[in-house]
Amino acid sequence: MEMTNNSSTPVITKETKNKLSVDYEGKLTVKERLLRKLKESNTWIKAGVNVLRFILMLGISFVIIYPFIARIAGSFMTYEDVIDSTVAIIPKNPTIEIYKAIIAENHYFEALLNTVLLSLIVAIIQTIISCCIGYGVAKFKFKGNKIVMALVIFTMIVPHNALSLSMKMHFAQFDIFNVITWGNKGLFQLILGHTLSLTNTFVPYIIMSIGGLAFKNGLYIYLMRQFFKGVPDELEESAYVDGSGVFRTFFQIILPLSVPMMITIFLFAFSWQWTDEFYASVFLPAKFGSANKVYMMPDVYQNIPNILAKDNMAGSNIYYNVIQNTGGMMIIMPLIILYLFCQKYLVQGIERSGLVG
Amino acid sequence: MEKTLKIKPRRPASLEKRKARAGYVFVLPFLVGIVLIYLPILIDSLWFSFFASESAGQGNYVYVFKGLEYYKFAFTGSPDFVGKLLSGLQQLIFEVPAVIIFSLFIAVVLNQKMLGRAAFRAIFFVPVIISTGLMDSINGSDIASSQMSGGIDDGSGANGGIINIMQVENLFREMAIGGELVTYVVNLVNDIYNIINYSGVQMLIFLAGLQSISDSIYEACRIDGATGWETFWKITFPMISPMILVNAVYTIIDSFTRSSNITMSYIKNVSDYGQSSAMYWIYFISVILIIAVVAGVASTFIFYQRRD
Repeated sequence: MEMTNNSSTPVITKETKNKLSVDYEGKLTVKERLLRKLKESNTWIKAGVNVLRFILMLGISFVIIYPFIARIAGSFMTYEDVIDSTVAIIPKNPTIEIYKAIIAENHYFEALLNTVLLSLIVAIIQTIISCCIGYGVAKFKFKGNKIVMALVIFTMIVPHNALSLSMKMHFAQFDIFNVITWGNKGLFQLILGHTLSLTNTFVPYIIMSIGGLAFKNGLYIYLMRQFFKGVPDELEESAYVDGSGVFRTFFQIILPLSVPMMITIFLFAFSWQWTDEFYASVFLPAKFGSANKVYMMPDVYQNIPNILAKDNMAGSNIYYNVIQNTGGMMIIMPLIILYLFCQKYLVQGIERSGLVG
Repeated sequence: MEKTLKIKPRRPASLEKRKARAGYVFVLPFLVGIVLIYLPILIDSLWFSFFASESAGQGNYVYVFKGLEYYKFAFTGSPDFVGKLLSGLQQLIFEVPAVIIFSLFIAVVLNQKMLGRAAFRAIFFVPVIISTGLMDSINGSDIASSQMSGGIDDGSGANGGIINIMQVENLFREMAIGGELVTYVVNLVNDIYNIINYSGVQMLIFLAGLQSISDSIYEACRIDGATGWETFWKITFPMISPMILVNAVYTIIDSFTRSSNITMSYIKNVSDYGQSSAMYWIYFISVILIIAVVAGVASTFIFYQRRD
């Protein structure tokens, strides 16, 4: 920020906080003052940079939003519109037949209800658990503290696809202390005489969440740990001196403090559970249409409704894609609407957290 | 138990000890989960890569030890596992710097005051909530919207992309810029949709890091007459360098566990579970090595404001 002051006249100009140029002697006219301001501060360059930046951001925003526009436009098309190459974005015969078919045949509202329920349960558990674990790792020096954190990172790195079959087997015949390939008997088999079948219920999700082992929980624990590392120790020490126990301090002082961060993590957990597909295929493996099927969001887009079937017709692939995209839009639209209300908390929480590396 | 009581009669445990105990209580859910749930699953998955399951009738299975056969096959017998592994790692090397640079850039811009900042923030964090799991596979199988668009390549690769590599190479041939760099940048621009989608969380983390740099440092810089460019490289970059490591590791993990990545989608289609487990473990170990190298290299230039 260089101030060039070539003028020979002894006019005092001063940059105040809101960048008003004050002409103390009142000698300059408004026009002169404006010209001077333009000349002295690089206003034109700044304006140019601002415009460029704005255009760039607009462009990137377009890249993010465009697929949504294209898919929403496609969702109102008929089969004829989809294969018609003259139709780009605006359908010739707008119709809601795809929506109707998906709601009727793909159990949309059932899936919506199940997903809302599961996402809420899982997000609440995961937020609380990762808060506890993060606090424990960040603030207490116990033996194996570093090992616990390393294990947290480890659970993040192991791709869950690699565990999918053994995870499926373990929850289909749930037992404790039981390794299938070793063939040993687990706790439930010894006591009850049989294993528990937990697939096609929400229980596996809940078990994984309580253990802090579910999808991306490592990230939540890590973020929480970083957040608590930024909280000064003096806060707790003064509470301890006043006679408050460790847990009371946690619940009455630390928890209220960490609400913004918890909201961020809740939003992560909620929306990532919402759009989860992998765990639905592992924990809820029943076939589409069977009696014990728990319908979740992936079922909405994976299945092509019979009423819209156009097998062996030209361009049917593209049409099926449009149907799947419509399903996809129906899945994420509730989430997007929710996000629009909550997005400021998502950013604020993590911004105010004072997250440090 | 009794012995310890005798040595220290009626003395409450020291604060240190009580705190250590409380620490265990806080991480207890995770420890229990790891031991009771995760470890058996992990061991089974590892063991599957050494055993072949054979049906013994009535739905029972017998596991036959195969030694390192699956691992040997992955490297020597399998037609293109090594190729897929290498191209997956190549993709990783391409993607990580791209995501880091892009998300840092966007975070810096979103941190400045500008017209419509709130709206841009809302739009830029949409990928955070939807770019995992299901949307990833919808994006992957999406011919329709790119056919309709005719212009923007939204990740399906069906169209030619935004820029044609030949044109750009012609443009830069006269200049002394390496062909690899040009190809890299062109691929980057054509892959912009994926890069945006994969850098949501990283943007958030960078934004948090930028917010934690105190204004007084910038003010001091301004008074000393530093330009914006200098301020960025001398202040912002070192202050945010721990975040760069965090984001690099996160991007590697995220990119490598994403089921749409080249290697993962190849392994997923391997029908023999023992074989695919072995491949997963090879892949996993190679990525662990990459993370170790990245963390090692990055820790030499990272600046920590306070070391504890």
